[in-house]
Amino acid sequence: MKEVDIAIIGGGPAGLMAAEAAASSGANVVLLERDGHLGGQLVKQTHKFFGSEKQYASTRGIYIANILEDKLKEMPDKVEIWKGATAIGLYEDDVLAVEVGKEIKKLKAKRFIVATGASEKSLVFVNNELPGIYGAGAVQTLMNVNGVRPGQRVLMVGAGNIGLIVSYQLLQAGVEVAAIIDAAPTIGGYLVHASKIRRAGVPILTSHTVTRAYGKESVEGATLVALDEQWQPLPGTEKEVAVDVICISVGLSPLAELLWHAGCEMHYIPQLGGHVPIRDKNLKTNVDAVYIAGDITGIEEASSAMVEGRLAGLTASASIGFKHDDYEAEVLDCNEQLRSLRAGPVGEHINQGMALVTSGE
Amino acid sequence: MYLRTGVADKELVVNTIPSDERRQKGPYVFIECYQEIPCDPCTKICPFGSILPMDDINDLPRTDYDTCTGCTICAAICPGLAIFIIDETYSETEGTVGIPYEFSPLPAKGDVVEAMNRAGEVICDATVLRVNPNKKRQSTPLVTLVVPKELIMEVRFFRLKKNAADALPEVDPYDEENLPDSTVICRCENVTLGEVRALIDEGYDNVDEIKRISRAGMGPCQGRTCRPLIMGEIRRKTGKEFDEIELGAFRPPTKPIQFEQLMGGEEDDN
Amino acid sequence: MLRIEEHPILTFDKSKTVTFTFDGKEIEGYEGDTIASALHAAGVKVMGHHYDSGRPRGFYCAIGNCGACLMVVNGEPNIRVCVEPLVEGLVVETQSNKGDLV
Ligand SMILES: Cc1cc2nc3c(=O)[nH]c(=O)nc-3n(C[C@H](O)[C@H](O)[C@H](O)COP(=O)(O)OP(=O)(O)OC[C@H]3O[C@@H](n4cnc5c(N)ncnc54)[C@H](O)[C@@H]3O)c2cc1C
Ligand code: SF4
Ligand code: SF4
Ligand code: FES
Repeated sequence: MKEVDIAIIGGGPAGLMAAEAAASSGANVVLLERDGHLGGQLVKQTHKFFGSEKQYASTRGIYIANILEDKLKEMPDKVEIWKGATAIGLYEDDVLAVEVGKEIKKLKAKRFIVATGASEKSLVFVNNELPGIYGAGAVQTLMNVNGVRPGQRVLMVGAGNIGLIVSYQLLQAGVEVAAIIDAAPTIGGYLVHASKIRRAGVPILTSHTVTRAYGKESVEGATLVALDEQWQPLPGTEKEVAVDVICISVGLSPLAELLWHAGCEMHYIPQLGGHVPIRDKNLKTNVDAVYIAGDITGIEEASSAMVEGRLAGLTASASIGFKHDDYEAEVLDCNEQLRSLRAGPVGEHINQGMALVTSGE
Repeated sequence: MYLRTGVADKELVVNTIPSDERRQKGPYVFIECYQEIPCDPCTKICPFGSILPMDDINDLPRTDYDTCTGCTICAAICPGLAIFIIDETYSETEGTVGIPYEFSPLPAKGDVVEAMNRAGEVICDATVLRVNPNKKRQSTPLVTLVVPKELIMEVRFFRLKKNAADALPEVDPYDEENLPDSTVICRCENVTLGEVRALIDEGYDNVDEIKRISRAGMGPCQGRTCRPLIMGEIRRKTGKEFDEIELGAFRPPTKPIQFEQLMGGEEDDN
Repeated sequence: MLRIEEHPILTFDKSKTVTFTFDGKEIEGYEGDTIASALHAAGVKVMGHHYDSGRPRGFYCAIGNCGACLMVVNGEPNIRVCVEPLVEGLVVETQSNKGDLV
């Protein structure tokens, strides 16, 4: 069985930063990624990121992934990268079961940093399983990784940042977006994103939902209905739109299966997107060997995922005797960045949620 | 409203317009970023310090119009595509708007495009004055349009005019390749395209025979709707041109001459 | 045609074509495609029918999470074609049962 100081599960922005921080603290690291490539959500993000310089603001997500991976390649003796490797079980004796191809490997580590990100939520409406109804991530993968349009005309369900950004990416790929709808009375995503789609002529219908899809073998259209202040359908407002794709982007929830295995204490926190583990300021869960970073701590952004990754990398290493030369300053910097990223009005619900599951404030 | 529609309200926009005096002095930056979000690259990039430092990354950007030269650097890096460059000194009646544009293909200098407002409505034609493709991978191309002065605070996007060929596609009203068999082509007598196709397959290749057998065109409308459809179907299936297809007798009161006129008229429309 | 020809930011490598069959029909995709993306680009949205209800099914998540895209590949049932790389000569078939009867 292979043994290592720190095993990091998930090669998205959080996992990549954690690997770098742990390795530069002196720990030996194995980074596991179930896909054939690193980057997580970043590899599909063709838009420029918000945030600050330290989190690569104004850089397109697709390039951030490369920058982070290149940094790891500079430390080959410290970081081993396993691609196409899915962690399938985390056991109490600090052993991780990893599926590589058809083989199951065991990996023993002193510390685990779980950075598995999130999975997409879905939505219930009549005929919601017709071909042509796709998750936003699927549409992005098809378009931005494989270079294939999902269809000719799309109805986007969800006006959060993901719905807005994927709509914009659809326009860039030459696909018509019939409308973006959202059940909430206001747009959830950043208004600068909303504006750039509006001025391109795509309507955003807040207080609207989809009640059914229709079509024989695949989607031919959808029925929309307006909602009142109590989010109840307003009779007589039904209208039909002819589309061949309905894209669902109604939010993400943390992908926490491994944490349940490991015996972490989990709580359902709506502000954070679903079940999340309790943790301390160092991002350690109630299980001493298990640290967390990124969307799994609560759905946020790549900017905060990177900072959390770095923080968990530093603290997990320090807990087994690998203390970064500038440990105190680095940790302080991470906490300061996280504080400022979450300081504005859009960070309010994150702070509320975090307060419920973080000990030692 | 902004939160509901994604279109910035007038008051928001008007609030940050610089003084009249400044507006007469040449190009200036115009930032339409009205929501506190964790973002600050614009404050770091300006070589003249014209976008003021933020105390907190969530602050709204603020502009010092006196030092801004309108150099466009900030517009190319803003991830929100929220920065425009305005110049009201272009001519007596026109000004220019620099618009971040991340679509393919880019227009060319001199092209006339359709300028749109914040809600995506086409409001005027505009000529492309400059295209800066900002080839460096991270940046956003900037397209500068000449627009009437009174629309300088309205125009925020554009779309390419369709080529003459694209705008007026050769619509052939008869050539509806994909219509299913169940499509009703003669509403009066409820004859479907499938029945007509079957008849053509059997060898009937003129309008008169098909009408007689199917009764299409024998109803109240006298075949005005269905006759062209039948002709189109015959042309598609047999390869005959319209003037080779026998129309058969036109029964009164509709005179043959009227049909010819109808056909001629439609061709002009195309 | 669903392939993106021109994109303001991305370029797609279409230098190597890969040929495979879908229910006996020959289809071309490109190296780098998954089976699902190649089928989709060829206009195939229906990847099978539900074994019980008979209703059509297509992919949903495209990252191997949901199991909506199971097909028979080279005789082996229950392959998630959304994450299965396209390889020359693959034989892809729709699957209309639970996969254990094939
Ligand atoms: C459309 C869209 C637009 C976005 N735009 C922005 C933006 O502008 N700015 C911004 O800051 N953020 C943005 N985000 C959010 C950002 O992408 C995420 O918050 C961020 O990627 C989370 O990072 P992560 O490392 O926690 O998770 P992920 O990026 O999801 O990475 C998790 C990785 O773990 C792997 N994994 C999961 N389970 C296992 C397992 N069992 N074994 C091995 N590997 C596993 C996954 O394959 C994945 O690669 C956007 C997200 C989306 C979807
Ligand atoms: S246009 Fe140039 S000078 Fe003006 S704020 Fe932007 S970067 Fe500064
Ligand atoms: S860079 Fe753009 S989106 Fe970010 S704060 Fe500045 S103007 Fe707003
Ligand atoms: S589409 Fe979800 S597993 Fe393939």
